[in-house]
Amino acid sequence: MAASAKPKEEESPNPVLWVARPMATAARQFVKSLVRPSTIVYPFERLEDPKFRDQVRVESGHPIGIGEVWDNYRGVHALNIATCISCNLCAFSCPDLCIEMVTVPGGDPKHPKKCPQIDYGKCSYCGFCSDACPEGCLTMTTRYELSVSRRPEMVFSPQKLHEVFERKLPMNPIRVERPENEDAIRLDAPLCIGCNACARDCPTNCITMVDTPKPTAKPGEKLPRRIWKEPVVNDSDCVRCGTCISVCPKECLFWGTHP
Amino acid sequence: MSVQSLYGVASLIATTLASLVPGVPGYLVTLLADLIFGAILLAASMINTIVLIWYERKLLGRFMDRRGAMHVGYAGLLQNFADGLKLFRKNTYMPSEADRLGFYTGPTAYMVSSLVIFGVLPISTGWDNGSLPLSLLLALVIFSFAPLFIFISAWSSNNKYSLMGGMRSAAQMIAYEVPILIAVVAVVVVSGSFDLTTIVMEQQNYWFAIPLVLALIVFVAGMLAEMERIPFDLPEAEAELVEGWNTEYGGMLFAFFMLADYLRALIGSILIVLLFLGGWTLPTYVPSALTNFPLAGIFWFMVKTYLVFGVFVWVRASLPRVRTDQLLRVGWLRMVPLALASVVLAAALVVVKCLPLIGCVPGIGS
Repeated sequence: MAASAKPKEEESPNPVLWVARPMATAARQFVKSLVRPSTIVYPFERLEDPKFRDQVRVESGHPIGIGEVWDNYRGVHALNIATCISCNLCAFSCPDLCIEMVTVPGGDPKHPKKCPQIDYGKCSYCGFCSDACPEGCLTMTTRYELSVSRRPEMVFSPQKLHEVFERKLPMNPIRVERPENEDAIRLDAPLCIGCNACARDCPTNCITMVDTPKPTAKPGEKLPRRIWKEPVVNDSDCVRCGTCISVCPKECLFWGTHP
Repeated sequence: MSVQSLYGVASLIATTLASLVPGVPGYLVTLLADLIFGAILLAASMINTIVLIWYERKLLGRFMDRRGAMHVGYAGLLQNFADGLKLFRKNTYMPSEADRLGFYTGPTAYMVSSLVIFGVLPISTGWDNGSLPLSLLLALVIFSFAPLFIFISAWSSNNKYSLMGGMRSAAQMIAYEVPILIAVVAVVVVSGSFDLTTIVMEQQNYWFAIPLVLALIVFVAGMLAEMERIPFDLPEAEAELVEGWNTEYGGMLFAFFMLADYLRALIGSILIVLLFLGGWTLPTYVPSALTNFPLAGIFWFMVKTYLVFGVFVWVRASLPRVRTDQLLRVGWLRMVPLALASVVLAAALVVVKCLPLIGCVPGIGS
């Protein structure tokens, strides 16, 4: 006969397992937390305070110093207006379209100086702008406190970004390794009309207009009406911003490979 | 006219006020003294309750490796007063299908019945609001009204979660009322009195927690269930019952439930201190410097009460919620036999007049 007809008796809770051990664990945690709880009272004390120095380490093992957070932290941008060349590369590279180039005092009336204005409501802190900046004047600092009370205050004007720069916060220079002079500005010479727009708008003044010999017209042929000059790009000074390509009225400038 | 008791303080204030107005009849002075007495008792119990909530939040914070309330007042002491003010200002809504009478009387009666118990609890020598020969019994009787009011408010909320919470509450409280009362019988057998003051005075030489440790365990577990605290908070189970019987309550009516819960926790701690931990007295062999300062009785009483409540918080921080079947099985099959055993043990102690470890003590069972 089958001897297993008896239903299995439900186990009653084991007092050691269910009461004593959890209470001992909780008591140990209580005593530990009484000395120093893990919570940091944030606005009044910060992780980078010296007293937390032994507690907080970045993954690479470097302790964080005073006023610093992780050394690869991407926080508020810092802009050095003085070295900005208005090349527009930051605004081009921004995936969130949060950078707008606004006029700042300092340029001449023909070439107004334009510097980035960043809307932190849109910014995703990807760092592409800092990477793209050819002069290293737009960098990301490790400042992480950015709360404002009104939405328009989220838009940081170039002057405000310059104030961040003047605070000399620890910078996070974002540089992606890539081959030097990968490509360069090339000219489709027959289309050029020598209008000087590229040289005029070049932020680094690396384009010079050189004279080209005016061809002699064959009989019956009509020479195009143009200025007999052509842009020559100094590749070592060029920052590859593409301003000349975008301003060229005849679309005769293009990206080509470096010779 | 002594200021050595709470009623003495109240009548002193009353007579001082009455002396300002000539020709006040005596019964009005007595009535005024009664009212002032009640007001002081109400204020003291409510302030203690709110401080108790703060105490629990701070302790629980440390148990969970955080800090609890921090910013309102010193170390967040005034946080719960602010919360109470917020609840006081809120509008109270009633479900359209709810029973109006039960919906409003339930929390009110729950609150009032919890407050009334403070009238019979002695606090210190002379501060005992008149010695009642059956004060222990009276306190426990009023304490056990609560399931009725919880069930009234749960049923009249017209909500299935509330009703289930109310049902669970009733089942749980009845299951644990029985072992509690049997455990109290053990105390009564040893002390020979139902008067809380006498019970405390009987603990001059040793605390009843030592010989009656079984009864203490049963009483603490039963009190946890009576107060509906974790691990016995099935009626309020947030995750499954959406706060149980107070699902539909908001604003001040919810605050009534909340306050009454903590009032009952305070009363439970006080009862444990009175019955098992010597109340406001320390054993006679401790240095007299510890008991020889003004209001020493009330001081030690408060210290013990808050320590006992700290143990409740410790339990809350450690243990998971039990299932209904586990709860009822432990209540009926474990607690009742344990309580009966403790009564037998107490009777044996009274006959032998000796304690297992301390030895023969004069006065036991006298």
